[in-house]
Amino acid sequence: MKKVSIDPITRLEGHGKIEIFLNDAGDVANAYLQIPELRGFEKFCEGRPVEELPRIVPRICGV
Amino acid sequence: MAKLKLALYWAAACGGCDVAVLDINEKILDVANLADIVFWPIALDFKYHHVEAMPDKSIDVCLFNGAIRSSEQEHIAKMLRAKSKVLVSFGSCACFGGIPALANLTTRAEIMQRAYIEAPSNDNPNKTLPQTKVSVPEGELTLPELFDDVLTLAQVVPVEYFVPGCPPTVDLILKVVNALATNSLPPVGAIIASEKSLCDECDRKKEKKMISKIYRTHEIIPDAERCLLEQGLLCMGPATRGGCGALCVKVNIPCRGCFGPPPGVKDQGAKLISSIASIYETKDEKDIARMVDEVADPAGTFYRFGMSNSMLKRKRVQGK
Repeated sequence: MKKVSIDPITRLEGHGKIEIFLNDAGDVANAYLQIPELRGFEKFCEGRPVEELPRIVPRICGV
Repeated sequence: MAKLKLALYWAAACGGCDVAVLDINEKILDVANLADIVFWPIALDFKYHHVEAMPDKSIDVCLFNGAIRSSEQEHIAKMLRAKSKVLVSFGSCACFGGIPALANLTTRAEIMQRAYIEAPSNDNPNKTLPQTKVSVPEGELTLPELFDDVLTLAQVVPVEYFVPGCPPTVDLILKVVNALATNSLPPVGAIIASEKSLCDECDRKKEKKMISKIYRTHEIIPDAERCLLEQGLLCMGPATRGGCGALCVKVNIPCRGCFGPPPGVKDQGAKLISSIASIYETKDEKDIARMVDEVADPAGTFYRFGMSNSMLKRKRVQGK
């Protein structure tokens, strides 16, 4: 199947790519959005003093 | 003068450095007069294949922010290095690892487990984890491999300049823009900030007092005129490069070191530990032990932005 890749997706915060599969008629058979990043805030915030979190978690999204 | 070709990219980042560039407000028009921006995912719709098609060294300057913690980020870092005459490590993540480098205090396996399986808001009954390759009915999908270690940009490719900060301040960004406009960049390898520590730029009163207790930031309301360290708060000032205008300290919160180590210091956390230990008032072992315990999170505080360059390296799993 023909595949059209949109990589990277732009004009938003974060990383993503879209893979679009086209069938023989040229119509979209399926499309997939993938997020090729993970930083792990959910885990590395554990063990940090709670009063420090307001200085750590804003770095999830600087926008 | 022909317009410069400028690229900006983000790896393991938050977008703050890109927004900081936009914080120069109307001066972005000066940037637009000076340069054609050929790649900037937050603002423009150029794709990776556009960059792949560029001849080597055809980009004059690339401002690269974000840490390197995946195979895709490493790949794009290497690509932009090849395509760029000057590569700038922009922001604390690219320079020192930044907040994402706190992941070096845990492991990739634990992160995946928490994010995809344990987190209370998940709906993942089959305990599916992301894979680097997966087959779907229509074909194949790929994802980059996540590294176990979070790296700085300079740990992956050679870099000409470093602009620290989380994010770099508008003043620093304008310094870089002006240097480009007047073709007056400093010698290669320069860190574009102050050559002194933050304490030098901080105008709080320093009385050279010794401390007998370490306070967590919620335990006291600090006097706005006196040195925060002398009041028993952990301020990274002595172990942090200046150039930020002491922004945090001016709003009565202690510095957390986002500008990295001052000149001549290899390990920021070690430098800070020695600075704090040198102002402990007591020589009594029990008191010293108490004060050590009063530091709630040593690794995560002394290396808040600098785990990638820390001599601690990373959390080690027993036996490996």
